[in-house]
Amino acid sequence: MELPLPLLWTSVLLPPILAILSALNRDLLRYSVALSSLLFLLPAAVGLYYVGYAGERSVADPFSINLQQYSLGSFYLIVDGLSLPVIVGISIVTALVAIYSMRYMSQRIEELEKEGTKVPGMAAYFLLYNAFSSSMLGMALSSNLLLFFIFLEISLLTSFALIAYYGYGDRMRISLLYFIWTHVAGALFLIGTLFYGIGAGSFDVLLGSSYNKAFLNVQAEGLLFLAPLFIVLGLLIKMAITGVHMWLPYAHAEAPTPISALLSPNLIGIAGYAMARFGLTLFPSFMESIANALLFLAVLTILYGAFVALKQNDFKRFLAYSSISQMGYLLLGISTLTYFGIAGAMLHYLSHAIGKAVLFMIAGIFITELHGLRDMNKMGGLARAYPITAALALLGFMHLAGIPPSVGLWGELLILLGVVEAFSPLTPLSLLLVTLVLVLSFIMTAVYSFVAMRKIFFGPPKINAREELDLFKGSVLVMGALGILLFIIAGLLVSPAQGAVELLLEALR
Amino acid sequence: MYEPLFPWIFAWLAPFVGAGIIALGMLFKVKDERFYGYLSVLSILASALISLQAASKVFSEGRPLYSGGDFLWIPWLNVTLGTYFDGLSSIMALVVSWVSLFIAIYSTKYMEGDWGYGRYFLFFTFFVGSMMLLVLADNLILLFIGWEGTGLASYALIGHWYTDEEEKGVGRPNRYALGFPMFFEPTHSGLRAILFTRVGDIALLVGAATIFLATGTFNLVEIAEKAPVWMADLNAKGILSLSLAILSLGMLAKSAQFPFHEWLVTAMTGPTPVSALIHAATMVKAGIYLFLRFVPILLSGALAAGIVGDLYPFFLFVAALGAVTAFALATMALVSDELKLILAYSTASQIGYMFLGAASVGLLAGALDAKMIAEGVIAGMSHLASHAVFKAALFLVAGWLIHVAHSRFIDQMGGYASFMRLTAVAFWLAGLSLIGLPPLSGFFSKELVIHTAFTASPVLGIIAIVTAALTAAYTVRAILRTMHLPPRASSHEEERHEAPPTMLVPYLLLALASLLLGLAWPYLAETYSEMALLTLALGKSYLPEVSLSGTALAVVALVLLSALAVFSAYYVLKVRFSELIVTAPWSTIYNFLFDRWYLNSILYWLFKNNGLRVANFASDVDEGVDFTYHSGLPSIGSLAANALRSLHRGATDYYMALYLASIVALVLLIIALMG
Repeated sequence: MELPLPLLWTSVLLPPILAILSALNRDLLRYSVALSSLLFLLPAAVGLYYVGYAGERSVADPFSINLQQYSLGSFYLIVDGLSLPVIVGISIVTALVAIYSMRYMSQRIEELEKEGTKVPGMAAYFLLYNAFSSSMLGMALSSNLLLFFIFLEISLLTSFALIAYYGYGDRMRISLLYFIWTHVAGALFLIGTLFYGIGAGSFDVLLGSSYNKAFLNVQAEGLLFLAPLFIVLGLLIKMAITGVHMWLPYAHAEAPTPISALLSPNLIGIAGYAMARFGLTLFPSFMESIANALLFLAVLTILYGAFVALKQNDFKRFLAYSSISQMGYLLLGISTLTYFGIAGAMLHYLSHAIGKAVLFMIAGIFITELHGLRDMNKMGGLARAYPITAALALLGFMHLAGIPPSVGLWGELLILLGVVEAFSPLTPLSLLLVTLVLVLSFIMTAVYSFVAMRKIFFGPPKINAREELDLFKGSVLVMGALGILLFIIAGLLVSPAQGAVELLLEALR
Repeated sequence: MYEPLFPWIFAWLAPFVGAGIIALGMLFKVKDERFYGYLSVLSILASALISLQAASKVFSEGRPLYSGGDFLWIPWLNVTLGTYFDGLSSIMALVVSWVSLFIAIYSTKYMEGDWGYGRYFLFFTFFVGSMMLLVLADNLILLFIGWEGTGLASYALIGHWYTDEEEKGVGRPNRYALGFPMFFEPTHSGLRAILFTRVGDIALLVGAATIFLATGTFNLVEIAEKAPVWMADLNAKGILSLSLAILSLGMLAKSAQFPFHEWLVTAMTGPTPVSALIHAATMVKAGIYLFLRFVPILLSGALAAGIVGDLYPFFLFVAALGAVTAFALATMALVSDELKLILAYSTASQIGYMFLGAASVGLLAGALDAKMIAEGVIAGMSHLASHAVFKAALFLVAGWLIHVAHSRFIDQMGGYASFMRLTAVAFWLAGLSLIGLPPLSGFFSKELVIHTAFTASPVLGIIAIVTAALTAAYTVRAILRTMHLPPRASSHEEERHEAPPTMLVPYLLLALASLLLGLAWPYLAETYSEMALLTLALGKSYLPEVSLSGTALAVVALVLLSALAVFSAYYVLKVRFSELIVTAPWSTIYNFLFDRWYLNSILYWLFKNNGLRVANFASDVDEGVDFTYHSGLPSIGSLAANALRSLHRGATDYYMALYLASIVALVLLIIALMG
């Protein structure tokens, strides 16, 4: 159905404009941040109401750009069951991290100025932040490959600038490294997109439309097989799958922490969403042919990321490796090509978004309040000084490990069902193998989570501090509480996902 | 056909609501301890009262009470918020809620002044709620949520004193077995608990997934109804026993069966009432409860499908593991010198009995009928119930003794009987029930288990009988050592008096209950039988007989003999055990038993050491990848750039020479191509 008001475009376009306006008058900044936060929540609210509650198959913004005369298709913004968990994740995280940023970034900018580095101020930060957030929302809302790519480029440029200006360590080198890696990925994606779009005469990706079905198997002819290949390769780099993951630990660990909280769960996960959305809608038979390879890569990534994470001492770098491992779960769900697996991957996106954002924000709390403390070996016993933070960290880890009452349970459960189904009909050998792989994969998240929990928060206290519950930590608390709320109202997400995935997999059945 | 959602859902929801309010109280920094204690007790009381009401309704109406089975929560997976009271779950709900209530009351006093008072009651209440949910859930997903809740709560409570002071640990500081430390701080124990059980949890989910994919439902009632179909289906694929074994891994891990018992024996680092809760009412009882839930479903289904014989490997696996656990943990309890540790070993050992009792009927194959299934379930269930009561009493007594002695080691306790008579009475009553002497409730339920096991397999039966003798030995030793013999090491003497009423009354009542339940056994047995008829997947046309066999007398004699041997070792022979265990042949045995058959060290070597090895390897690989991309590739690039740059160094004669050479080369190329 069509929305009565252009709410989706508003939530994508207005926040950057608000940030520019607030640059004119410093006093307006607070209001502009508050208003942008509300705007970021808008797509989630729209989606949860229309798609989740009212049961619409999809809901589109009334405003669209028709470029069919140039064979580019139309630029629509749409929410459906597949993208709903992703959009809810982005909405919640971007809205709350914006509030979190106020204290974190003003201190960071002060710090940089003390070091003698001239950096753009808060208004510039929020312009970049809002543009970055909007572009991620835009990607999840796009129904067109080209529009998706435009938003992708904006997200890369803004996040690059954010790392380069406000990052830690050797930030110039790291931001450059990030820029090159993600642009290799972006370029591959663009080449694939062009191969497809020019061949098909449109860049539209509309779930279940007869339009796409006409082009379902165009890739079989000529060079068109390069389209899915390049798109998938580009997305695998964006997801930081083992082998092409090396940019992530640098970028996500050294980005300013609010940006880490956006990059790590949200941006890389969108690549997984895109693989389900574009790959399965446009190139089902190609996806089927590489499913086993993806499954292998997924398990490898889960285990590799988890094992390397165990060896990290830097809190943020540890979280970065954990993100790599979590991307493995997303890929695992998608590679099963089952209803449960794909829906599970989308739900896992949401729980990882919340859980990892909570954890990065907590890393940021210690950086802000404990003089840049990041070394986990120097932590220990922090729960005594920071009881609420410790509770929230536990909740964050529960989101990753899929322990109720966090929304993580649903993702874990659905992915597991998907994997078992993918190997059906089971033989004794395959059942044994599936069990071993699943137990090993899922236990590793719990291992590094609870080991880190103990390292950071338990044991004899080493640091004297006092926890004040302000807006800064309040934003983390609200995020954690939303994770529990989403666990309870998961039905609003699961049923639409079912409907959408059924359409998605129609071509394979 | 369904009862309304309310009020029955409050049987498990009430503690969750309580826990939620407690959490808010902590957030708003409520200082008054009573706020947390009272809320916890009240919400558990609500749960207990509703359970009582439901159970009596089930019993009087003679049919299960199924509420909210049509209240859909997660539509796609058909997960409902159903609360299902049948014979088995009613009894279990009663045991869980009432025993937890006593422990909660005891805790309000025990935890007084603790710096984590609010947090303690938050997780305590959440724990009870999760357990009640697990017991009453009508589908496997809801059950799994409760299941994971108990895991989370036990993690938090075992590691309650997370600052890891040495006196809060378990084991002997600086003791090593095969190079691995045998001392565990609270947070280490918490970590072990959640990781050990989570291995089983994932397996449980995989098992549940295979059933779901075969039946299209997680609903227990439907799974029971369709059992003949899906079981035959899985059997035809050759994965029936395997998938059930995978399913049961979760139960075995949760219930601390060999070799998963390791998590339970170090879980002693939590406050003592938590141990009481974990051992008596929640957590470890979850696994055996789920097994009892599945035994009738599986065996009735197999009977209907005519494939009972094919389940033999599965039931042998569980029964043997139960027997091994019962025996192994009893031997470890013989030599332990920590009061709570002895009780912990005993818990795993007694749960081994329950698994043995319930699984044995699956070994009867051809001789199996519906009546025997019911008897197996009753054997497991009644031992579960009587164990819950006496073990709660034992732990609560231990909590007071440890408080008095300022030590967890039994060598620093002694002679308490003359200072606290009521506590001594409670300890003896509960202890004798554990030993299995008539007329205490433990005697009757243990007899049922031994009888069932013996009928199914004499070998397993003999292991069960030997274990009974060992149980008598370690229990009598613990009671004599703490209550009657003089303390061996220096001890605190100023606080040797009876516990305050808030603590004394709960354990005294529980101990008396284990006597009364024994005295009322004829009535109780009948109730159990009738409740068994009302249990999911158990038929309606027969009444199982619960009677005592001739072996009972022999077992009692053996148990008495064993108790007497310990008694005379201390009082008549005056054996000096502390000197004995350092001499040649005994020290080897002692160390083997004291270090838990070296299983801890073996598991740590197998998983921790090798896991770290893999982690080291992976991070080496990662450094290699990093170097290749970010140093290797750029330096190849700069080498290539330098090489190309050297061609453009600005010397005119060099350029001229190159120019001429190129022309010649081109001409040659053209000639070659044309020719």
